[in-house]
Amino acid sequence: MGMAAAARPGTGVEQEDERQLLEQARRGDREAAACLLQQHELAIFRTCRHLLPAGEDVEAAVQEVFLRALRALGRFAGECSFGGWLASIAINLCRDRLRRRRLIPFLPLEVEDEDAVSPLAVLPSPEPDPERVAMAREAVRRLRRELHRLSARQREVFALRFFVGLELERIAEALAVDVGTVKTHLHRALQRVRAAVEEARP
Amino acid sequence: MNAKHLSDDELNRAVLGEALAPEASAHLGMCLVCRRQRDGFLALVEHARAADPDKAMRERAREGALTTWSGVQRRHWRSWLAVAAVVAILVLVPIVRTYAPNARAVDADAVMAGVEKVLDRDPLAAVASQEIVDTLVPSNGASEEGSES
Repeated sequence: MGMAAAARPGTGVEQEDERQLLEQARRGDREAAACLLQQHELAIFRTCRHLLPAGEDVEAAVQEVFLRALRALGRFAGECSFGGWLASIAINLCRDRLRRRRLIPFLPLEVEDEDAVSPLAVLPSPEPDPERVAMAREAVRRLRRELHRLSARQREVFALRFFVGLELERIAEALAVDVGTVKTHLHRALQRVRAAVEEARP
Repeated sequence: MNAKHLSDDELNRAVLGEALAPEASAHLGMCLVCRRQRDGFLALVEHARAADPDKAMRERAREGALTTWSGVQRRHWRSWLAVAAVVAILVLVPIVRTYAPNARAVDADAVMAGVEKVLDRDPLAAVASQEIVDTLVPSNGASEEGSES
């Protein structure tokens, strides 16, 4: 799982360093705060990108997440990892936006982004066989569609695991549940998504 | 080989990178079909993942938040300074007014002369009001008027 390793936040900074940075940031040290955010910004971008409803400004949402976190630094007691805490702020913001969007039904929650699909990456063969391209396109479409049919919690867990690349423990922290609950949601989500994708295969 | 393909649950575990039973693990190592199912799904998910933001976008979001936050911090400092200034004024003004020399100098001799004058005329004026004095000790004029009547 290369993507998980690439996305795992906080690996560049040891826990002790992170604690020190937190202390400095709490005292108003801008550089320390920047360093802290930088360690986790990719994960936060991915979280917002995949949990926000379509059409939302991801950059603005991430900025809002960072600002909420900086303003609440004094209240962060360290009962979980900083990355998990930051992720929980991002998730809450995405839920707020999603709730707000549901109140405005004419705006779509998802957008089919077919142009972004490069089916050659999905199937191992290098030949651009039109039939296989169509199959891969269909598989991606089904996956996305099924993701939006999952329960909110299942979708969050799936996105945090596969798109953001968070470890189960970090997901549990972010969602304030135990690891067993995360595993249960993940397995159920995976079961449904895989079944939907398999239907597209010959 | 077909009968021994991984179950859905085992495939899910394989996709999640969880530990499999030794037989299942051995099967996955040998079976191209099961491996392709696992790898195909992971590739599909990887593909469905949106592209990461570029460095400039990440920096903009971070710097935007930091700038707003720093501004708030500075405003906090200014607010505290203003509060401290108001408190200092409220505390210092009464102290200064108490201990500073009075601007209007009082002529103590004149005051004392006035007091002496009043006491000479009527010693009880220092301890009781004129009305009480008149009631308790009527003046000579008043008693004479009374006797005449």
